Parts: sequence; structure tokens; C-alpha cells
Amino acid sequence: MKFLHINRRTHLYLGLGLLPWFLMYGISSIPFAHGAYFEARDKASGLPLWTMRVDRPYAIDIPAEGELRAVGARILKDLGIEGSFGVSRQGPDQVNVWVYSFLHATQVKYFVEQRRVTVEDRRFRFDHFLTGMHARGGFEQESILTKAWGVVVDLVVVAMLLWVVSGLIMWWKLPGRRLAGWLALAAGATAWALFMRLL
Amino acid sequence: MLSSLLRQIHLYLALFMAPWVLMYAFSTLVMNHRDHFRQWYGGPPPAPVFERETPFEAALPEGANPREAGAQILAALDMEGAFNATQRRTDKAIVINRLDPITPRRITYVPGSGKLSIEKTPWDMRAYLERMHRRRGYQHDAPAEDAWAFSVDFFIAAVLLWAVSGLWMWWELRKTRRWGWVVLALGFALFGLFTVTI
Repeated sequence: MKFLHINRRTHLYLGLGLLPWFLMYGISSIPFAHGAYFEARDKASGLPLWTMRVDRPYAIDIPAEGELRAVGARILKDLGIEGSFGVSRQGPDQVNVWVYSFLHATQVKYFVEQRRVTVEDRRFRFDHFLTGMHARGGFEQESILTKAWGVVVDLVVVAMLLWVVSGLIMWWKLPGRRLAGWLALAAGATAWALFMRLL
Repeated sequence: MLSSLLRQIHLYLALFMAPWVLMYAFSTLVMNHRDHFRQWYGGPPPAPVFERETPFEAALPEGANPREAGAQILAALDMEGAFNATQRRTDKAIVINRLDPITPRRITYVPGSGKLSIEKTPWDMRAYLERMHRRRGYQHDAPAEDAWAFSVDFFIAAVLLWAVSGLWMWWELRKTRRWGWVVLALGFALFGLFTVTI
């Protein structure tokens, strides 16, 4: 099997295998790029985004500064909530724990002074589903499947680089397309350089 | 005819958009491995550092909001472009973040002080890539910024066109259909599994 043949097949099968990710990243970029439109559209529906599930007394010691992940894990355990999560400090008196999956999101708020905790569930929104998938990545979560998603994100990156390289090779093997190809490459690079100068 | 047209669109669009493809690929790598890059660089991206102070005597309009004040200050500095501006509660200072892609700057003006303090963010490749990845939208009053937002929309259209034209070209290669179906099905099955489990 010749190199050029392998090159073409790599380009093709990577495209087919990663098509769902390719489509997801493409389509989900629309609500990212036009967020105001989607927010206004949802606001017009008049439906509340969050629904309160729990509002009760609760107490846990919060360190004055530093990492809060262990505290977040403890709060979730005490409330019987599982899933990927992130923790953030909302000032000295409030800690938020954000629990999310592709299909569902929950926000836990712990109010330090009041010793009170609330749990709210977010209504499913297709644009949030898409942007949530788009933004998902990294390896800080404990779940194996979540780490596997991070690996696939890396695979998408490798595929993008391979598409560029294998595409350039395929283009170079079409002598009749070289001039127009150089023009397209030069136009793209010039447009990029102009943006870096003018933005 | 259609086949030839789709092939050419697929090719030339990719050659033109190559800088965007490379930026989105490398920036995704940076964001997917934030902790690794932090260790590799020895810390998070650098914070802005003091660059210079410059006199600023112009009076801001009565009741000007931070955005209006920011626009006037940036015009005086010849630094027009995308920015955001806030007013600090403690001393009422106007803090402007000029969102330059290469060298972002922070300009602080304390009313009555007669001067502007300018800080610049030192170059950091991962920060640059992430800034470009997140740059989008038509919310800034700057033609270049609208043009960039259009390029992002154009990239989205290109992604969808690559998918459609790629499927078309695959279907024309009869020999690859069977393995193509297998790979396509595996991809969708894995994607479906992730969607319902994580």
C-alpha cells in the first residue's frame, strides 16, 4: 500500500469516524457566536431556567482560601448528588457547586453565614446542550468515561492537524490546482495577518 | 459537474481557512490540558504588568458610563478597538480592558488624577490561542471586530460544508463504502454512549 493511498484513507476515515464531533463542534459554535439571540429567544418563552429542588439548613467548614474541590465533593455526598462537578467561591459568604452532564445541570449553593444550602435544576435547553458538549474537556474529573471524552477531544485535535497535513499533500499531488491553491493559502494567511494587525 | 464543484470547494475552503483550523486545533489542545501546560510553563498565564503612565486632562462627559468613558480614553490613546470597561467601586476608577489579540492592555483612569496608567499583558502562546478561540460575536462597535465575527461564522459554514462534501466524496468511492459505514457507525455509537452517560 502506497503512502499516498494511506494518506487519502487516513483523511477519509478520520473524517467519517469523527463526524459526530465535527458536526457537534460546528453546530454548537452557532449558539456560542450568537449567544444574545438565543438568550433573547429563550427569555421570550417566559419559562424559568432554574427550578428549586432543595432549600434547607446545612453546615460545613469552608477554608478561607485555596482549593475547594474536596469541600464540593463533600457537599455533593451529603446531598446525595453524583456527577462531574466544579466548585467556585462567590465571595466570602457563598460557595457554588456546579454538577453537570450533557443532558442535565444542577447548581448547589452553600450560604456560609446562613448555614443553608439550595439545590436548583436547570431546564433542558438544546443550545445549552450543544455549548455544554463543546466546552467539555480536560482530565480533572474522576470518572473514566469523562477522561475518555478528554482523550477523544485530543483525537479531534490530532485529526484536525492530520486533515491539514494530508490535505496539503493531496493538493500538492494535483498540479493543475497548485496556482489556485497557493492563492487560497496566501489569501487565508493574509486575512489572518490583517486581523492580527487590526483587531 | 457537481462532484467537481464540491471537491474544489472542499479543497480551496480548507486552504483558505488553514490558519483558523490550526488555531482552533492548538487552542483546543491548550484548553484540554490546562493543568499540563500550567506545569510546563511553571504557572498560569502572566498577569498584566506596568507599561507606562501618561497625562490625561480631557473631561469626561457628565454621567458618562464606563463604556462611553472607555471609548473616549482609547480614542485619546489612539488605541481604538474591542474593549470592555468597568467602574471600580472603591475609588470610582474606570478600568478598560483593550482586547488586543497580541498584546491586551489594561488602562486605569482615576477621575481627577490627570493621568492614565497603562499595563500590558506579556506574550504567552497559550493565552493568545485561548483568546483567539473565544473571540466571537458582533457586540463591539468596531468594523474589524465585526469582520472577525463574520470569519467565525464563515468557519462554521466551512465546517458544515466540509462534512457534507466529504460525505459526498466518500459515497463516490465505492470501494470505501463498507468500511466507511463501519467507521461512521462506530463514531456515532461512541458519541451516543458519551451523550447519555457523562
